[in-house]
Amino acid sequence: MPTPAIEVDHLSKRYGARPIVRDLSFTVNAGEVYALVGPNGAGKTTVIRLVSGLAFPSAGRVRMLGVDPHQDPSVRRRLGAVVEAPAAFYPYLTGRGNLRLHGRLAGGVDDDRIDEVLDMMELGNAAERKVGVYSLGMRQRLGVAAAMLMRPEVLILDEPASGMDPLSLHLVHSVLRDAAASGTAVLLSTHHLDEVVAYCTRVAILEEGALIDEVNLLDRRERFRVWVGEAHRAKALLDTQPWIRHAAVRGEEVVFIPSQSDAVGRVSAVLAEADIELYELTRDIFDLRGYYRERVSNERVRRSGVRGSRVESARAVEPPPEAPGGPEETP
Amino acid sequence: MKNLLAMEVGKVLRLASVRFAAVLLVAFPILWAYAPGIFKVYGFYLVSAFQVPALGLLSSMQFLLPLLTAIAAAELLGTEIANGTLPTVLLRPVSRSQWLLSKLLVVSALPFAMLTVFLVVSLVAGAPYGYGSFVGGTGLGQAGLLGQGTMTVAHALREVLGAYLIAAYSLVPIALLAVLFTVVFMNAAGGALATLSVLIFMQLLVVFPGIEPYLLTTQLNAYAKPVANLGWVAALIAFYSAAFAAVAVVLFERKDF
Repeated sequence: MPTPAIEVDHLSKRYGARPIVRDLSFTVNAGEVYALVGPNGAGKTTVIRLVSGLAFPSAGRVRMLGVDPHQDPSVRRRLGAVVEAPAAFYPYLTGRGNLRLHGRLAGGVDDDRIDEVLDMMELGNAAERKVGVYSLGMRQRLGVAAAMLMRPEVLILDEPASGMDPLSLHLVHSVLRDAAASGTAVLLSTHHLDEVVAYCTRVAILEEGALIDEVNLLDRRERFRVWVGEAHRAKALLDTQPWIRHAAVRGEEVVFIPSQSDAVGRVSAVLAEADIELYELTRDIFDLRGYYRERVSNERVRRSGVRGSRVESARAVEPPPEAPGGPEETP
Repeated sequence: MKNLLAMEVGKVLRLASVRFAAVLLVAFPILWAYAPGIFKVYGFYLVSAFQVPALGLLSSMQFLLPLLTAIAAAELLGTEIANGTLPTVLLRPVSRSQWLLSKLLVVSALPFAMLTVFLVVSLVAGAPYGYGSFVGGTGLGQAGLLGQGTMTVAHALREVLGAYLIAAYSLVPIALLAVLFTVVFMNAAGGALATLSVLIFMQLLVVFPGIEPYLLTTQLNAYAKPVANLGWVAALIAFYSAAFAAVAVVLFERKDF
């Protein structure tokens, strides 16, 4: 099994007595876009700083490409990161000057590559302007350009969409998507759940520093549902097809994940052959916003229940009620 | 390291505090060279351009120069924290200690650069008094400003250069202390003010005569009146410098950003 690009193992961080990150574990593999979402104060930025090696864990460990970034800073040669929102640059240097400085710190980069990333982020025209006069969105784009400068194997971005107009947002999405497609592992924190659904592979939902859920969006995005006359018979039939990875009954519907690109077209044919009436076949659009809201509020109810029972102190603490699953059954 | 040093030199020249210090260091000797109250304060009349540099040091070594040094040194790190560029730089494959060390080296050079400007402007400002041999002293040697007979140009230059070199060297630990406090407080103002507080506190410690020769503030007079031979003074200043730099690096290595 290949080494994960980022490996977070039972990571905790506390400032004084206050825990900020609690026993967090996750991995990000090459080619994945992994998103951290959660309400303000959930610990996303702290996790980003711990993973990128800017902060030290109180417990647990972080590995980047199999190496502890604190022990071996040279691993950062393979890292691109933006941990400030907006991305921070020397205001008296031009956009190009800042990238040149980044390149020098990283061991050297040629001017062609600087031009390439500036053009990629549509900053070619502003390259000779001092960063002090850049807009918020331009700084953010320059941040992504700086992160991409050394063709990183790991990209870490804290709120990359902050302060961006829709066009810039689309540009950043496509750059990150392309980076992941070429094998870069991307870890980002964001409040934009739509962008998460659009191109992230997995999403971790954080609340009060703890991971309360991790959702595989690849499965969710590639999920379809068929409304049929006999849902259970249809599910049994689809289970036997090699081009269906997974199928599950949800009321009168069967939700399935195809394993081949032509699977969706073949479903109606197979059901028709088996005389199962098909009323509707659609892509199952995952409502991350609703799912997120429900998971976070359930977690809050659970925690307040735990706290309440602690106040009652004399009695034994009841085990907290299990947070109900998402609004739907995971196939 | 060479790259880092070059970058830090570029940054230091852009600091507002360094530009402000440069203005003061240029204006100060010009004003003092022609100040009407010199006789009233110092009890002598200027007779040579080589006496103007002494006026600068006598008037500014106890407060102005340590203040300017501390502010500039604290700002070199403080602006990186305020602008948010510190994490950006630390995410590159540069070790924290190497990066801070380059800053410490640059701030150590700062007093030498500042006093070079001060000296050159002082000598130029004293031009009307002439650059020839004169009867009296430079104010920076054993014989003070009154001197012992005629002072040759070479002797005067030697005394002035030596005193400025020692003065700059004695300011180095102050620059390093300012960086150390900036690491602790994570802002330039905190770093500079804490440094000044420590210096003022040290000056008050003269009530303990036993420790006075060892105080950093006592060494600020070493250019004129060293408490012991210069080798001992140099070693003590080096000890202070090394201690402040080492603590700054150790704290910086373990700091969360």
